[in-house]
Amino acid sequence: MSDIQPKKKRPAMEVRGVTFAYGKNEVLRDISLKITEGKITTVIGANGCGKSTLFSLMTKNLYPKSGQIFLRSRNINNLDLKEFAQKAAIVHQYNTVCGDITVEQLVSFGRTPHKKMMSASTEEDERCIEWAMEVTDITKYRHREVSRLSGGQKQRVWIAVALAQNTKILLLDEPTTYLDVRYQLDILRLIRRLNKEFGITIIMVLHDINQSLYYSDEIIAMKDGKTIAQGRPEEVITTELVKTVYGVDLNIRQIDGKPFVIPV
Amino acid sequence: MSEKTKAVNEDEKRQRFKTLRTVISFVITAVCLLILCFAAMNIGSLKVSAGELFGGLFSGNLSDNAATVIDLRFPRIIISMVAGASIAVSGTLFQAVLKNPLADPGIIGISGGASLAAVLITAFLPSMFFLMPIAACCGGILAFVLVYTLSWKGGLSPLRIILVGVAVSAVFSGLSSAFNSMNGGNMQGVAAIVNGNITMKTWDDVYMLLPYAGIGLAASLFVTGGCNILSLEDKTARGLGVNVSRLRIVISVIAAALVSVSTAVAGVIGFIGLIVPHIGRILVGSDHKKLIPFSALFGALVFLCADTIGRTIAAPYEVSASIIMNIAGGPFFILLLRRSKKYV
Repeated sequence: MSDIQPKKKRPAMEVRGVTFAYGKNEVLRDISLKITEGKITTVIGANGCGKSTLFSLMTKNLYPKSGQIFLRSRNINNLDLKEFAQKAAIVHQYNTVCGDITVEQLVSFGRTPHKKMMSASTEEDERCIEWAMEVTDITKYRHREVSRLSGGQKQRVWIAVALAQNTKILLLDEPTTYLDVRYQLDILRLIRRLNKEFGITIIMVLHDINQSLYYSDEIIAMKDGKTIAQGRPEEVITTELVKTVYGVDLNIRQIDGKPFVIPV
Repeated sequence: MSEKTKAVNEDEKRQRFKTLRTVISFVITAVCLLILCFAAMNIGSLKVSAGELFGGLFSGNLSDNAATVIDLRFPRIIISMVAGASIAVSGTLFQAVLKNPLADPGIIGISGGASLAAVLITAFLPSMFFLMPIAACCGGILAFVLVYTLSWKGGLSPLRIILVGVAVSAVFSGLSSAFNSMNGGNMQGVAAIVNGNITMKTWDDVYMLLPYAGIGLAASLFVTGGCNILSLEDKTARGLGVNVSRLRIVISVIAAALVSVSTAVAGVIGFIGLIVPHIGRILVGSDHKKLIPFSALFGALVFLCADTIGRTIAAPYEVSASIIMNIAGGPFFILLLRRSKKYV
C-alpha cells in the first residue's frame, strides 16, 4: 500500500464548483476545496457564512444546485446513503435519545450501514463496537442508559456511534457546542488522537477560532458563501484574514510556534 | 477504582432487573390471556367444561352445547384477540413513525377512514364483501396521508397531529353514521362496524381477518430495528445509511393496514393503540424488539378483557368493547396529556 509514502495523495473529499441556494437566497457561491487524506481539516467562519450549509452538502443532507462533491473521487450523488455511511461517518451537532437505550445498544447502531436487514451481528461488528467504546473511554458505562449520562459523556457516546461505523473519514458539526470547556478539550483531544493514532481523516466545523488553530492541520476560512483561505493555520492566519472573516481587529500571538488570536 | 466498579455493578444490576421484569411481564400477560380465554368461553348462559370442549374437539363428536359455544363464542374470542393485537401493534408503530407518544390510530383518524371504506362496501357493494379488508386498508392509508399532509407545517408538531386527527376522524365517523342512517340505521353489517359491535361475528369474519392481520403482525416484527433507528434524529439516522423517508412509509403502511383490517371486522376501537404501548414501555422498555411482541400480547388481553366485561356487566344486554375502551381510555389519555409537559 502506498499509504506511508504516497506519490500524490488524492483528496479524501473534494468540493468542485458548488453553488447552493435556499429559494432565491444564495448561500454558497461556486465553492471549491480539497480535504487532505489523513489530516484534520476545520472549517471556520462567522455565523451565517454558509459553513453549516457546506457541512450539510458534504453529508448528503442537502443537494447542490450546481457543482459536484466527491468522496474518494466518487461523486456522492451517485452513492446511496448506505454506501456513503460505509465510507464516511458523521457526528451531527444536535442529537437526542429517547427511551431507556443503553450506551452499548446505541453504539451498536453504528454498525447499521454494514448490516443486512434482520441479520445477526458478526464478530466484526462486536470488535468494532468494543473498539469504539474503548477509544472513547465509555466502556465503563456500557450498561448505563444514555439518558443518565452527562453532556460530555453523551457526546463521547455519539462519537463512538460514528466510530463503530469503522470508516477512515469522520465529519463533525460543531462537536464542542453545549459543552463546558473541560469537556470541549476532552472531545478535541479525542479527535486528535483518532487522527494521529488511527489515521482517521477529520473534517469538522468549529466555532472557537483558537481551538480550530490549535487542533487542525488545515483551516478553511469562509465568508459570504465563499472560501477565502485554505491551508496550514500558521500560514493562513493573519490579522487581515481574521478581520475579513469575523469583522473585528484582533491581535495574533505565537505560542509554541502556533498562532493564537487574542479574542479581546 | 472501587467506586467505578460499584457504578458498573449498579448498571448491570439495573439491566438484570429490567430483563427480569420483561420476562415476568411476558409470562404474566400470557397466563392472564389464557385464563381469560377459558373464562370467556364459559361466560354466558351455556356452560361447557374445558374437558368436554377439548375432548369433543379432538374426538370429533361434540355435544350440542359445545358446538354452540364453538360457533358463537370462538369467533368472537379470536377476533377480539387478533384485533386487539393488531390495533396495539399499529399504535406502537404509529408512535415510532410520528415520534409522538400520543398517536393512536383511533384518535388520529386512521380507524375512521378504514371504517368509512368498510361501511361503503357493506352498504353499496355487499357482493364485494371479500374486498372489505383491502378497501379498509385503502381507507386507512388515505386517512393517514390526509392527516399527515394537513398537519405538516415545516415539521410535525405532536399536538397538531392530534388536533387534525380529531377533526378528520370526526368527519369520517360522521359520514359513516350518515350512511348508516340512510340505510335505515338497521342494516346489520353497517351498524356493527359503526358501533364497534362484535356480537354476531362468525367464522367467516375470522377467516377474513386472520390472514391479513397475520401478515401485518409478521411484517411488524421485521421493522422493529427500523423503529429503534427512527428514535434517533432524522439526520443521524440518515448518517447511518438509513433512508428515513422510505422507512417511515413502509412502517406507516404496515401500521395503517393492521388497524384497518381490524376496523373492517371489529369496528372502530379507540385507545388500545395508546394505552398498550405506554404500559408496554413501562414494563418491557422502549426497545421495539421487545415492545412490539409485548404490545401484540397485551393488546389481545386488553381487547378480550373489554369485550368480556362488556357482555357480562349488564347481561343479558351487551355493552360493546369500543364503549368500554372509550370509558377506560379517555381518563388514561387525559392523564398522559397532563403528565407530559413536553407536548401541550
